[in-house]
Formats: sequence, structure tokens, C-alpha cells
Amino acid sequence: MTVENLIFQGLVGLSLAMYLWLVSAGLTLAFGVLGVINFAHGSLYMVGAYLAYTLYGRLGLDFGVAVILSVLTVGLLGAVMERLLFRPMYRLDTAFQLILTFGLVLIFSDLVKLIWGGLFVIPPVPAIFQGAVPVLGRSFPVYNIFVIVAGIVVAAVMGLVLERTWWGKTVRAAAADREMAASLGLNIYRVFVLVFAFAAMLAALGGAFSIPVRVVDPGTGTALIVQAFIITVIGGLGNLRGAFVGSLLVGVLSAYGTLLFPVFELFIIYLLMAAVLLIKPEGLFGR
Amino acid sequence: MRRFSRREFLGGAVVVGATGVLAACAPTQAPTQPGAQAKPLGVDTIKIGAMGALSGAHADYGRQINMGLELAKEEINANGGILGSMVETRMLDEELKPDVGVRNTRQLVQDWGAHFLVGVDSSGVAMAIGPILPELDRVFIFTHAATHRLTEELVYDKKIKHIFRISVPVYQDAIVAAYVFRDKLPQARRFATIGADYEYGRAVWALFREYMKRFRPEAEFVAEAWAPFLTTDFSSHIAAVMAANPDVIVSTPWAGEAVTLLRQAVQLGVFDKIQAWWQAMGGSVDVLEGIKGEVQANAFKGKLWATARYIHNYPDTPENRAFVEKFQKRWARFPNYSAETTYSAVYAIKAAVEKARSLDTSKVIAALEGLSLKTPAGDRYIRPEDHQAVYSVPAGRVVMDPKYPIPIVGADLVILKPEDYYRKPPFEPIKF
Amino acid sequence: MAVKKPTLRNRLGLILGLGAALAILLVPPLLGRYPTYLATTILMLAIFSLGFNLLFGYTGLLSFGHAAFYALGAYVCAKVLLAYPSIILGLLAGVVAAGVGALIIGFLSVRHTRIYFSMLTLAFGMMVHSIIWKWREVTGGDDGLVGIIRPNLDLGFLEINLNRPENFYYFTAVILLASIFLMQRIVNSPFGLVLQAIRDSETRAAFCGIPVRRYRLAAFVISGLYAGLAGSFVAPLERAVTPVYAHWTFSAEPVLATLLGGINSFLGPVVGAFLFRLLKEVVVRYTEYWQLALGIIVVILVLGFRGGVVSVVAGWVGPWLRRDEPRFTQKIAAEPAGQEAAR
Repeated sequence: MTVENLIFQGLVGLSLAMYLWLVSAGLTLAFGVLGVINFAHGSLYMVGAYLAYTLYGRLGLDFGVAVILSVLTVGLLGAVMERLLFRPMYRLDTAFQLILTFGLVLIFSDLVKLIWGGLFVIPPVPAIFQGAVPVLGRSFPVYNIFVIVAGIVVAAVMGLVLERTWWGKTVRAAAADREMAASLGLNIYRVFVLVFAFAAMLAALGGAFSIPVRVVDPGTGTALIVQAFIITVIGGLGNLRGAFVGSLLVGVLSAYGTLLFPVFELFIIYLLMAAVLLIKPEGLFGR
Repeated sequence: MRRFSRREFLGGAVVVGATGVLAACAPTQAPTQPGAQAKPLGVDTIKIGAMGALSGAHADYGRQINMGLELAKEEINANGGILGSMVETRMLDEELKPDVGVRNTRQLVQDWGAHFLVGVDSSGVAMAIGPILPELDRVFIFTHAATHRLTEELVYDKKIKHIFRISVPVYQDAIVAAYVFRDKLPQARRFATIGADYEYGRAVWALFREYMKRFRPEAEFVAEAWAPFLTTDFSSHIAAVMAANPDVIVSTPWAGEAVTLLRQAVQLGVFDKIQAWWQAMGGSVDVLEGIKGEVQANAFKGKLWATARYIHNYPDTPENRAFVEKFQKRWARFPNYSAETTYSAVYAIKAAVEKARSLDTSKVIAALEGLSLKTPAGDRYIRPEDHQAVYSVPAGRVVMDPKYPIPIVGADLVILKPEDYYRKPPFEPIKF
Repeated sequence: MAVKKPTLRNRLGLILGLGAALAILLVPPLLGRYPTYLATTILMLAIFSLGFNLLFGYTGLLSFGHAAFYALGAYVCAKVLLAYPSIILGLLAGVVAAGVGALIIGFLSVRHTRIYFSMLTLAFGMMVHSIIWKWREVTGGDDGLVGIIRPNLDLGFLEINLNRPENFYYFTAVILLASIFLMQRIVNSPFGLVLQAIRDSETRAAFCGIPVRRYRLAAFVISGLYAGLAGSFVAPLERAVTPVYAHWTFSAEPVLATLLGGINSFLGPVVGAFLFRLLKEVVVRYTEYWQLALGIIVVILVLGFRGGVVSVVAGWVGPWLRRDEPRFTQKIAAEPAGQEAAR
């Protein structure tokens, strides 16, 4: 195996990791602040992808506009979900939240089939991202570079907002101790609805980005969510930085696994997940 | 003595109530009507139960099964039915889950009263249904499930005579590919696979290697990458295989996964490097619709080879032309192979029942064995030994054709005789 | 227990109990073959859910990996039946295998509770799934094991032909009744009460000197045994077993059934198994969008009727039967998220 091939495979793994990151970022953020594990988070990625498909692929809107519109729509959907479905759940055992969101998975899966049917059509890659650049004698798609850059930018902006701004402080306060934050006069429910909407938007962003290179179908939500669970667990539930590193780890590892060990098993990833939960439940990168 | 608690007897109450609902699921078969004497089969309706994937990622395959089924039913009923008995259908979602498929089969037979069964997309579902058919005493004609084990193991070895298959199994995906590259790419040496990581993909790769090695002893199998069911991104598989510089890639993920895989292969510049890409079920209408943009832009550079269990542009016979025309008129889409195979399965049932002049399962089985039938896909012959329908579907390059709005498997068609590539009994197990 | 004078409640309970028994008895002669088959699968799901609720309703642990034990039972029973035609041996082997699996996985999983427990069981369950999927020499891979026979039930003095669907159904019913009886003894024993005490407050239970983790493990293993028992019936009933029984989405079946029936009532899971199967049975006759219907029902149940159908009916029957119990569904999650991880 040449060094060039190893580097190239790593690049491919990096772009895989960015989709994983966008999904698991919202999942872990929602858990950290709201204490909710959302089975339907993968479904929000799916809805984002379908919306982007319609706006960009069917109605012919500009790709950027389509992405923004679908992200905003899913954000609104997330806000409605939080307000109507999750708010009554906070005082209950997490088991019921899990079951509720599992019910949502079923609903979303059939709803998108009802609306969009079961067809697999991928719209063309937007003109500015077409083509490939030569990397080590092979060609690497411009679009993948765009996704890698976008994922890193999202991570950097989120990090800055959480660390440096009043909003970030508010969110962190709510995550650390919601009762204390509430008694200090913070409108905790407003924080919850905004955080959940934002988490939904991140998932939708991943979905919308995927639409020129990946088919979306009614099973997409379920296919993604377990992977996202694995990552958030490895990174530590509620740990945003952990989710980023966890995504990189899983994305790059699975790319190398495919190259170096063709019999590479999902088994190993589940084993990693179980081992982290047993040995270091706060996540590999927990404080 | 223990007291019953409130909850227990409330539980009991609900059980009683639920049993009432269960009663509503009891057979609704009406007694034979008095006017039935005019009908040689003694029934007003012949019920054909069907199954396919109607939810999840592969929902379009089940829908196509339903379209083929409904079209055949409407045609037959408009022409006087089967020996005067009208055809009635019911379609259920197999969910690609074997337990659901088994439950559906029982419901269709024991509750709804199905005389015959057709359909099934998943191999696992077919393998689970097969063994219960003798108990139900019904014929099931499978129209998509592709594992060779269904006919080789269950019918030929285990003698479960109620199983038939109208569609061609993995022989098409694997052995035809070896013939194509023997004839069309004499200089190709290095072969790799991006495989579906389950029985189907593994069997295709094993069979392909066996035949390719036989045709070209110097062939090398340089890389394999395996993608589990419901993979959403294939770029790491593509990059891994391309690291070995293959001449030809044999690819078995199907449906939406095939569309994703091909788009990402274009993105990664694969078609600048390789000589050919074999997409096993790339001739499926949903895949062709999905890659239309690439084909129009010549993104595959004419290197994409595909086949299917039926392609709507072949053969150029009156039967096929009429079928495609009627199908488009009825459903505004091109028929996928699962539509044609299901449509033909219904006509096979019609032919067998007319030959047996009976609905008795053993007589229908006898009539189906060795049956020859003109179908849209061409002449089909049902082998008595393994109940596998023998017919031939060509492979070829995927191109645009001015006559069709979607791409077709239409260039360099390789038309083989089925006896060249159908495995024959006694069957050697495929080793992989 | 001292003999008490018959109350209205007692008599009503007796009548309804007898009614339920009669209804179970009458399914095959009155309703025919398909409902008998359907009822058999309901009985199996009832066994599965009954065991599941010992862990969920009584101990407060939601497992998303119990499909693994169901599958272990199914596969081991299938392997036995393929080698040696004895239904008793097959079921026994299936249950033992599931028990061993539950002991190992449970030993590791009960170190955690809440979401961490659910995630751990999900991971272990999927590990079992990928082993079954991959180990094709033994498990037949994704096509599964087929050609399983259904031997007669040989009791020594009596041989029952289980290939008659009604006999198989009655056999399953007897096993379910035995399982219910056993579970009744378990939950009403001091052991069962300790489990509920742990569920309601782990800390308090620990202060009372209860080895919390060991009790949880015991509950886990018992529920695993029930799952294995239910799974073992799959092999002779369907004559084929496939990896889907080990997938996490299959673990959702007892969750939904239990929720539907009621997690606070002893027989809730049994009632729920009936309702869950029938609901789907009815819905798929009218629409291919059965997931939508099921999802909406789940959401409504969780938001409004966490006690399940049994509690709703109890509410109608009226407060004259009221007996207050600690209810899991009303438990307030006082521990802030993340505390678990910090331990």
C-alpha cells in the first residue's frame, strides 16, 4: 500500500466524517442541554435532504438558497417538535423520550414516502463545485472539499459561539444546571426550544449537503441514527468537541478499514462503543 | 388463595375484548355461490396474494410488483378471467423482514384465502417462506428474490415442490458478466468488486471469479470492498478499490444504493481510469431513472455495463411491445423487471390452471413443471428439476436512446443462450 | 394467606380470568387456522414482553438489545432441532443459551442505568446481530437457517402432534400461562419488591444495604430467559430463523407492546402483545402507511396515556377500585443529565 493511497483514503474518510459530524453535533447538543436522546434526529437529516432535493433538484432554485430554505424549515419543524412533543417529557424518565422519538422515526419514514414516493434521483452537483482536483495522482472531487470545509467552519463557529458569546454562556449554563439557571432568571424553555431547533438545523444541513452525492430514501433516517449514536457515545454524550473528534475517528477509521481490512466489521465499531461506555462512559474525550 | 388484583382482571377484560377483535380476522371466505356450476374451477374468483417491499429504502420494487400484478389482473379479467373465474389480488408489505413475510403468507392463505402467491424482493424473506409452503399447500412463484439457494437448495435438494421462480437468479448478475468481459474486453486482467456485504453480493463475486478464471486463467482479482445493507456513502469503498488500479469493477449494491455509488464513482474520477464497470442490477428502471443525468452528460464514458432480470427494450417482439405500451398507459412509468416478472408469473398461473383445469396444488405444480410460456421477456421454460424459469436477458452498455426518455441497456448487447450461464443440477455449493 | 370474604372485586376477577382462559381455549375451533397462527405469535410476543417488563416496568431499565436473546433462543433451538428431533430439548437449549448470553451481557450492562444502559444494550445486541450475520457456516448468514422440523411433543406417557397448528398453539398457551404464573410469583416475592424499590430510588435502596447491581443483573437474566423462551418458539413455528430477530429494531416490539398494554400493570405486556399484533393486522389491511399509524399511536400513548390501555380502562371502571402504587410513569427525573457519566 503506497503512502499516496493512504493519504487519499484519509481525505475520503474526512469527508465522510463531516456528514457524521453534522448529524451527531445536533444529537449531542440536544442531549447536553435538554437531556433528550432523539431517535428521530436522523429523520431530520432525511427531511432536510428531501426538502433540498425538491427546492434544488425539482424547482431549480440556487443550491445555496435551497440549502438555507430547507435548513430553516427543518429548524421550524424542530421548534414545533420541542414545543409540542418534548416539553411535556422533560420531567419523565428518559425511557419515555426514547420511545416517543422512536414513534417519530416511524412517522417521518412514512410521511416522506407519502410526499416524495420511493424514487431515487440525485440532482446534479452545483456548477461551482463541479469537477475534481488532482491529489497525489488521483482526482478528489471539489464538492467533497466543500463539505470538509463547511463541516470545519460549522465546528469552529459553534465553538466560538459557545465559548465567547452571551448566548453560548446561556446555553452552557442551561446544560450545566438547568434549575440553577432557571432560578437565576433565565427563561430555560426559550433556551430549550432554540437549542433543539438549532440541533435540527444542523442535521438538515447535513442532509441538504448530501443531496448532490447521495440518494435519500425513507430508510435514510434509520440508517444514520445508529451511527450517530455510536459517535456521540464515543465522544461522550453531550460533549460537542467529543462528537467532532468522534466523527473524525469513525469516518477516517471506517475509510481505512475498507481499504486495509476488507472484512472490516461493523462489529468492531459496536465493540468500541461498548468499551467506551464501560470503561470511560464520559466519552473518550470527556473532561 | 391469592386474590386477583384489579389490574389482573382488567388485563383479563382486555384479553377478552381483544379476542373479539381477533374474531374479526377470521376467514371471510364466502361459501361457493350457486351459480358456480358454469365455472369449471368451481369458484367465482381466483385469489392471488402478493408481497414486496412497500416501505423503506426499496419501496419502489414492491410498487413495481404491484403494478405488474394489477395490470395482469385487469387484462385477464377483461378477457373472461381464468376458465371463467375472475382474478382477485391483495398486496402486502414484506418490509424485507422474514418474519413479516411468513406472517403475510399465512394471512394471505389462511385468512384471505389466496389460491396462489407471487412476489417477494428479499432473498431472506423467500428462504423463510419456502419451508412453510407445503404446510399451507400453496404454490408461490417468486418474482425477484435472487439467491440461488432458493431453487438449488430448497427445491432441488430439499424437494419443496411448491416453490417456483420466474426471475433469473444470481447467474445473471455473475456469470453473464464473465461472458461479457471474455468477449468484449479481451485485454482486461485486473478485476475488483464493490460488493453488497451479504449472501447475494458474496455469491455474485464468487461465481464471477470462478467463471472469469475459467475463461481467462491470467485474470487477477485485485481488490474487494464490502458495503453493508443500507450504506449511505460509498466513497471510501470506491477509493479503496481504486487504490489497486483495477481494469474492471464488479458492483452489486442495488436500488438507491447503486445510484449513490455510481454518482460518487463519477465524482471520484473512476471512469477516467477503468475499462469497464459492471452494475449487476443496473438495468433496473429506478436506477436508470436515477442516473439519467450522468448518462446524458456521458459521465460514464460508455464504460457502464449493466443487466437486469428483464429490460423493457428487449426483446423486440409483439408481446413485449404490447406489454410496455399497456404498462406505460396504465402507470405512466416504464416497467421494471419486478413488474414484468410478476406480470408473467400471473400468466404462468393462468396457463398452468388452464392446463390442469383445477386449482388443486399438486395438479398445478405438475402443470407448471416443464411449462413453456410466451412472456414479454421472451420464451420462458420452467425447469422441472429446480422449478427455475429459464429465459435470457441480454447485458449491454447503458446509453441514451432517442426513442426513450430514460437511459436503456441498449448498446453492444450480449445475448447469450440460457444454457450457457444457468447453473445446472446437480448443483455444487458456491464456495466463498 | 388467610381466606378473605369474597368481594365484588374478587368475583369479577374470577369471572374475567375464566373468560380469558375460555377465550384462549376457543380460538382454534371457532376462528380457524390463520387466527390460530396469529394468536400463537401473540402468545410468543406476550412471553417476550412479560419478561421485558420485569426489566422495564419493575426495574426501570429500558433495554434496546433484548432482540439478541430472542435470536439466541431462536438460533440455538433451530440448531438443536436440525440435529436432533426433540422440541423439549430445543426449547431448553434455546432458553439456556439466552440465559448465558443475558448473564454475560447483563453483567456488563447493569453497571449503568438510564440512557447509558439503553446504549450499552443496543451496542451488545448489534454485536450479536453482526456475529449472526457474518458467521455463515453456523448461522447461514443473512439467509438464515431453513428446513427446521417441528417434532412431536413427547411427554413420555403422551405424544402430541405439534404439526397440527392448534396443538402447537395450545402448547404455546400452556407455556405462556406457566410463564405468567412464574412471573407473578417473582414480582410479588421480596425479590420483586426490591426491584421496584431500586427503580423508585436507587440511592435509598442502596442505603438499605441492597446490592443494587446484583438485583438488576438477576432481573436482566430473568428477562433474557423469557426472551429466549419466546424466541425458541420461532424455530419450530416458522421452520426458519433469520438475523432480523437480533436487530435493534426488533427489540422495539416488546417495548411498544408493553407500552401499549401498560407498564404498571402485571398483565399489561400480555394485553399489549394482543393489541400490538392486532393493531398492525388491522391497519395493514387498509393502508400501506402502517408505520405512520403505529407512530402516531406511540406518540399519543407516550404523551397522554403512559399507563397504557390497562390503566385507561382502569380509569373508566372508576375510582372504587383505586389502589395507589408507586408509578414509574410518573417518576420525576430529578437527576440532571450527565450525572450518570460523572459517576
